[in-house]
Amino acid sequence: MSWLSLLILIPFATALAVVATPDSKWYVRRWVALFGTGVVLALSLVMSLSYMQAVQQRGGDASVLTISQMEFEQSIPWFKSMGIEYHVGVDGIAMAMIVLTAIIIFTGVLASWEVKDRSREFYAFLLVLVTGVFGVFISVDLFLFFLFYEVAVLPMYLLIGVWGTGRKEYSAMKLTLMLMVGSALVLVGMLALYHAAGSQTFDLNKLAMVDYSRDLQQWVFPCVFVGFGVLGALFPFHTWSPDGHASAPTAVSMLHAGVLMKLGGYGVLRVAVYLMPEGAKQWALFFLVLTTINIVYGAYAAVRQTDLKYFTAYSSVSHCGFVLFGLCSLNLMGFKGAVIQMFSHGIMTGLFFGLIGMVYGRSKTRDLTKMGGLSKRIPWLATSFYIAGLASLGLPGLSGFVAESTVFLGGFFGNRWGDATTMRICTLLATSSIVVTAVYVLRGLSRVFQGPMTKSEFNQMQDATIPEKLCTGILVATLAIVGMYPPVLIDLIEHAILPIANRF
Amino acid sequence: MYIQPEIIVVVTAFAVLGMEMFLPPRHRVLETPVCLLGLSTALAAVVYLMIQGDGQFLDGQFLFDGVAGWFKVSFLLAGLLTVLLSADLLNGRFKIVAGQERVLIHRGEFYTVVLFNLVGSMFLISATNLINLYVCLELATIPLFALVAWRRNDPLSCEAGLKYIILGATSSAVVLFGLGLLYGLSGSVDLFTMGDNLIFGPATKLAIAMVVVGVGFKLTLVPFHMWAADVYRGAPLPVAAYLSVASKAAGLAFMFQLFYRVLGNVLLDVSMALAVLAAVTMTLGNLVAVVQTNVKRFMAFSAISQAGYLIMGFLAPSGAPSMVYYMLVYVVTNMVVFGVLVFYLNETGREEIEDYRGLAGTNPWIALVMMLGLFSLAGIPPLSGFVGKFFLFSVASKAGFHWLVAVAAVNSTISLYYYLRIVRQMYIEPGFGDDPPIRASASIVTALAVSTVLMVVLGIVPFFYETIYEQTRDWIAVAEVR
Repeated sequence: MSWLSLLILIPFATALAVVATPDSKWYVRRWVALFGTGVVLALSLVMSLSYMQAVQQRGGDASVLTISQMEFEQSIPWFKSMGIEYHVGVDGIAMAMIVLTAIIIFTGVLASWEVKDRSREFYAFLLVLVTGVFGVFISVDLFLFFLFYEVAVLPMYLLIGVWGTGRKEYSAMKLTLMLMVGSALVLVGMLALYHAAGSQTFDLNKLAMVDYSRDLQQWVFPCVFVGFGVLGALFPFHTWSPDGHASAPTAVSMLHAGVLMKLGGYGVLRVAVYLMPEGAKQWALFFLVLTTINIVYGAYAAVRQTDLKYFTAYSSVSHCGFVLFGLCSLNLMGFKGAVIQMFSHGIMTGLFFGLIGMVYGRSKTRDLTKMGGLSKRIPWLATSFYIAGLASLGLPGLSGFVAESTVFLGGFFGNRWGDATTMRICTLLATSSIVVTAVYVLRGLSRVFQGPMTKSEFNQMQDATIPEKLCTGILVATLAIVGMYPPVLIDLIEHAILPIANRF
Repeated sequence: MYIQPEIIVVVTAFAVLGMEMFLPPRHRVLETPVCLLGLSTALAAVVYLMIQGDGQFLDGQFLFDGVAGWFKVSFLLAGLLTVLLSADLLNGRFKIVAGQERVLIHRGEFYTVVLFNLVGSMFLISATNLINLYVCLELATIPLFALVAWRRNDPLSCEAGLKYIILGATSSAVVLFGLGLLYGLSGSVDLFTMGDNLIFGPATKLAIAMVVVGVGFKLTLVPFHMWAADVYRGAPLPVAAYLSVASKAAGLAFMFQLFYRVLGNVLLDVSMALAVLAAVTMTLGNLVAVVQTNVKRFMAFSAISQAGYLIMGFLAPSGAPSMVYYMLVYVVTNMVVFGVLVFYLNETGREEIEDYRGLAGTNPWIALVMMLGLFSLAGIPPLSGFVGKFFLFSVASKAGFHWLVAVAAVNSTISLYYYLRIVRQMYIEPGFGDDPPIRASASIVTALAVSTVLMVVLGIVPFFYETIYEQTRDWIAVAEVR
């Protein structure tokens, strides 16, 4: 059995273990969950090291490949007559995403340390959700990919609906339905590709060898791009994201903004761009313009928010725009930037939402205008918040800088199929959003943490507890490591991106 | 001989009827285990015959093959689960609520009628003669009129029965007309000879249209679905459950016989009409289900939309395995949901969607089973409903109906919306104060356990689909050669 299967088995087994815990002992559950996710985190780190080794041993020249090379592959026939297989394997991109997911869920469990209300279902659904996410990243078979994709989306409904705040039922339903319409589009596209290939296989790498007709790619590409793009918060299908994030409980926001939205970008890269280069060439410019709107609109919308969660959610819309923007530039640099941004934004936004949950737990309000001077009482949380904010505005030394600068370079280089002037204008517009980001981040944070204390109750606040310190510490450290020594991430993903970039 | 399962069911029917006549009332409880035993034996016999391989009886008038086997398995499963679900009502175990007529009387006769209906369905898929086929269709329909109106003192039940019988009789007449035309066009009553002789023309179109009207009634295809909501609402709930699965499976069996054996060579000519029919059926069913407040009517519209997905399989000859598989999946999944509905109605007398609030707090396992059942109906992986729908959509995509795949996939999302409404009541809304957990009877627990396990296993273990795929090859070949 491939080690990869453990990545879905362990979270699922942990979910079952959580269900089996006795009623009275709610605190046992968090330890069970922490243990399970800790094992997954350790496993993912070990696997990424051995992945690097395997790539080095394999050697060869990756610069001529056009088909992704998978490691830890395993394939068991499932529905033979349809060519559906339980086929798992990872390349560097998937490996990076797996590490990201493992970090976020581990810190997510730490951030939800105090969930007592129906904690059994909470941890169980959370772990099922993560099982789905890992499943997507390890799938090589498109059917399996789609299956896990839906498994990852659905528990969100209950997690937001039961443990959320505010207009939770509305947000949960909106989120679920919009994402499901997206997956409906993906389904149409993937079935069309499957039947057009005619080779009775859902293996992504075998599908990639087929030359699809131009006509087919012309309509399937936008279907799949928009389908996954909904989850990647593509403008104008991003509207589920602010509501959903604002209503979700802390760990769920972390997981959702940190990992789930990356599934969208990952799907676009792995299915739309990888399988349909011709379609990508025709449509890239159109989607590039949309993603530019994403970036700029998200940033300006964030400026106007007074609720901390909406603030971060719009900032996420803007930052996820960078991922899709990078993918639309159709060159090595752009793809690389997009993947780094996926990782970097995942960690950063996880940190953001984790901190918001912690601050909200203390101040009982998320309204920016009602807070002030909190840094006197909660210096640890305030410092972490600032680091997250600085990463989000792209300060060198933190991972956001690496990601965004690569994306912009990719966009500026452009490609042969899009109008160079339009691409450069778009890139410049996107770059300018950094300034807006700086405005909202700095203004927002200074309101919350600096100035005079607005309420006397704030004096009672306690700084971070040990689980909270551990949670924020891990995330801040990751941001700094990737920011100061990017090769740690780039070496991992580079080999995997070359085959995709070589198709253009 | 290959007819043993049918014989077993008939013998059981007469045995139960005899017990009802000759046993003192307090011993009539024994009829339930006898009935269950008979059905289980018949099921075992079908499985045994399927392992033995294909065969025929009465000079080829009765054919047993893999497809027939799977249909019979579905019918018998539906029968078994219905018997289990109706046990509480027959035993008088339910909460008495003023204004609700709910007891089921005449246990033995009830079982007999169900069993005869089952025999009709079972013969239906094996008949190779047009006249037998029609007689079986009638036998698979007429007992249902009686079952729907079983509570003769309940105005709703009687109204439902009347509505059902009028529409049912009309549709039977139309079908008969259509079959007559087909006989006239082909000059034979043997299904295979008919298929060889038939050529496509205006009269064939008319005949197909008439057959579709009749089948549309049984399968609740729009616009022949009008009866469904009222009948489901008025019929005793276990009967509605039986109606939603067995009657639909019988309709599909009839459609298989005609579409593959007789109309195989003209099927592609009408595929556009079928695609439109499928699209209209699923869309209307789903949209109307959204505004329902009563769970019975809700399930009626849900069942209508499921029929829309189901007939997508006829768009390409290779769709046969997907349809047989989905039928099996649909039978067990719908029985899961109906099992919970029966349980909740019996124990609390509640049947509105919002009455399900807080169920996850009082009965977490039942709520979980219900949620899984609803998710499977909505097509959420890794449950079997997802795999089944995926295969059906794949058939439509293969036939080039990409727009239909899009319509169907969006419809799945709409259906998810209203299935989630129940999930929301169970999990998110606060319950009725401090309700104690509701105890479920052994028969309900058994029915739920069996159907839930089957629902999950069908989607994960490839054996079932692969076997069906192998066994439907002959059927596909008949249609593809022509």
